Amino acid sequence: MSKTTNFSPEQTSAHPPLLKRRQTRIILATIAVAVLLVAGVYLLGGQPTRLVNQALISGVLLGGVYALVSLGLTLIFGVLHIVNFAQGAMLTLSMYTVFMLSTQAGLNPYLAAVLTIPIMFAFGWAFQAGIMNRVMGDTSHERPLLVTLGLSLLIINGLLMAFGGRPAAVESPLAGSISLFGTLVDRPRLIACLGALVVGALLTLVLRKTPLGLAIRAVAANDTGAALVGVNVKRIYAMTFGLGAVCVAVAGGLMAPFTSLIPTAGEQFTTLAFVIVVLGGLGSIPGALVGGLIVGLVQTVGSLYLPGGGSLLLVFVLFLLVLFLRPQGLFGAKQ
Amino acid sequence: MRKKRLSIAAAAALLLGLTACGDNGGSSDEIAIGAVHPLSGPLAGVGGMMNDGAELAVDDINAAGGIKSIHGAKLTLMDGDSEGSAAVGQTEARRLVSDGAVALIGTYQSDVTENVAAMAERSDVPLVIDVAIDDKILSHGYKYVFRIQPNASTMGASGAEVLSQIGKATGQDVTKVSYMHIEGAFGESTYQAFRKEAEKQGIQVVRNVSYPATNFSDATTAVTQALSGDPDVLVVSGYYPDNLLIAEAVKAINPNIKAVFGIASGAYDDTSFPSDGGAAANGVLSANYHYSATSKRAQDIRKRFQEKYGRPMETAAMLSYQAVEVIAAGLEKSGSNDPVALQNAIANIRIDDTLLEFKGPIEFDDKGENKNATVIVTQVQKGRIEQVFPEEFATSDLIFPARDH
Repeated sequence: MSKTTNFSPEQTSAHPPLLKRRQTRIILATIAVAVLLVAGVYLLGGQPTRLVNQALISGVLLGGVYALVSLGLTLIFGVLHIVNFAQGAMLTLSMYTVFMLSTQAGLNPYLAAVLTIPIMFAFGWAFQAGIMNRVMGDTSHERPLLVTLGLSLLIINGLLMAFGGRPAAVESPLAGSISLFGTLVDRPRLIACLGALVVGALLTLVLRKTPLGLAIRAVAANDTGAALVGVNVKRIYAMTFGLGAVCVAVAGGLMAPFTSLIPTAGEQFTTLAFVIVVLGGLGSIPGALVGGLIVGLVQTVGSLYLPGGGSLLLVFVLFLLVLFLRPQGLFGAKQ
Repeated sequence: MRKKRLSIAAAAALLLGLTACGDNGGSSDEIAIGAVHPLSGPLAGVGGMMNDGAELAVDDINAAGGIKSIHGAKLTLMDGDSEGSAAVGQTEARRLVSDGAVALIGTYQSDVTENVAAMAERSDVPLVIDVAIDDKILSHGYKYVFRIQPNASTMGASGAEVLSQIGKATGQDVTKVSYMHIEGAFGESTYQAFRKEAEKQGIQVVRNVSYPATNFSDATTAVTQALSGDPDVLVVSGYYPDNLLIAEAVKAINPNIKAVFGIASGAYDDTSFPSDGGAAANGVLSANYHYSATSKRAQDIRKRFQEKYGRPMETAAMLSYQAVEVIAAGLEKSGSNDPVALQNAIANIRIDDTLLEFKGPIEFDDKGENKNATVIVTQVQKGRIEQVFPEEFATSDLIFPARDH
């Protein structure tokens, strides 16, 4: 099993700083490059300033949404070393849970999102404890991967059977937008973006400051070693998958108000979330946040110049560039 | 790896399907029609609904005594699931034909229809397209392929025409528009046809913004870009989720435009749009083929559809119903279940009592296009989709400018 994740052994000392010096340097460098590029767009881009303003704001908001989706993926990736193909489907499942709670039980969708958290934790925990732990031998990396693929097909088609494929909508009591520098900031999207920051911060705190986090980092670094010092590795796996599902629950809850709900609604985020997680560094939480922001900005600002799918092309060009210059990802640990 | 395993699963499912349907064909007093629609995947909602529409048509025809010229032979419907993919759609169509389908209907997507049409032509089995817009499908000189709905260039051109007429009729001249369309054959060909006709009508396209078909989850920037040309009207072509996002972005930006005007829009004449869009949906216009809200027969079919399947019957499902009727009329006319005779009958058919608001009966030209297919304009008013233009089809008065700024 590769040990290239960010939860490396030297961080298990009593009170490590939340960001290491190396990470600070990378953040500063990323910001510098971003500022230069944005200045270039403003000065040489030949687009009306208001349009660029709007693209930046929308890009940051979209980046927040992407970051939110990627957080759970990077956690599962970092600890279990599994590519969770069901991430998008689990996102859809949480959106439908919020939809059910808010339309059937008449709850406020944000309250429904909070209620979705324990439901999805139980779902993720049960899936890992009941099925995944049995297939995660050390002989095959394919089996757990295929099981997650199976889970995603099961969820999508189960939702299709239960709800049909017609688009459904969750109404947000906070729908509307705020005006900022002549641009529009959509309120539900702003909340989702802030949600990403809160989830990222909480996740970092849990990993760095709690006994559970210590155990998770120990398992991520060396599962055999962790088992030898008495950590119940399978239990930690289940807890981690549960936590990953919680991230998805928050993401689904906050995204439901501005998404047309169909059983495949979450799928479009799966590929981009993988890109973001690899771009930011496998298992790195700041990596997921920064990666999400970068991809959101590149896609939105890029669409001013390359309409249609061209902006996605830019995202993938950037992705290749980062992989070339820094194969471990922006915040990844060196191999 | 992922693809490969999926295709093994698909092959297994196909084998099961083959054995299950093996005894469907053959019998002389049952005539099978094959329907290919996306029954799983992102388009499963509309695909399933279209299948239900076809099934209702088959039941209605059987209840009325079947095909009388063939001793009251009963129709049966065989389903094929395209999964939204051209390759799978083609395989499914081939399966249905080898299982004895004398005609096919389908398929909602242009690329899938392109493949199914090629297959139908090679097998000498008529295909009646219910929904698929791309001109290219019928540009190969096929004999066995017929289309009931207007094609992309007809829709783009008549969209420009009715928009200009609306401007003139209300004294609110439309001279500048911005056009937003989804990437791909459908959006691009509709836009090109629109621009050509718009220029003739004295309408200038000041901005043309295309957006991707996937990973489009926020329309604010694209809409801001389109509005930066200061247009009178924002014209939109696309599918449901993206067009809903665009309407919501327009509502948020609240620009000084006269209307949002959909052409072949998958959202703006859909019955769930007014409630999903809320205030953003109000006043939105849509030029599209549309089920006939002025026809008693269409109203009755929609009512029974709602009772039987528990959801409203959108225009796509009405087109599937209509496609089955075209095939049934062809069978009645030819008096045999031979696909070649059926082709000849459909090519010369004339159906007067259409279920869609067309400018005349359904008749096919030598390319297989319906000569009288046309668009009408609908508008969201008080949370309902109303037919507003041309006047002969109107169920309510047109409101234009449609937005109060």
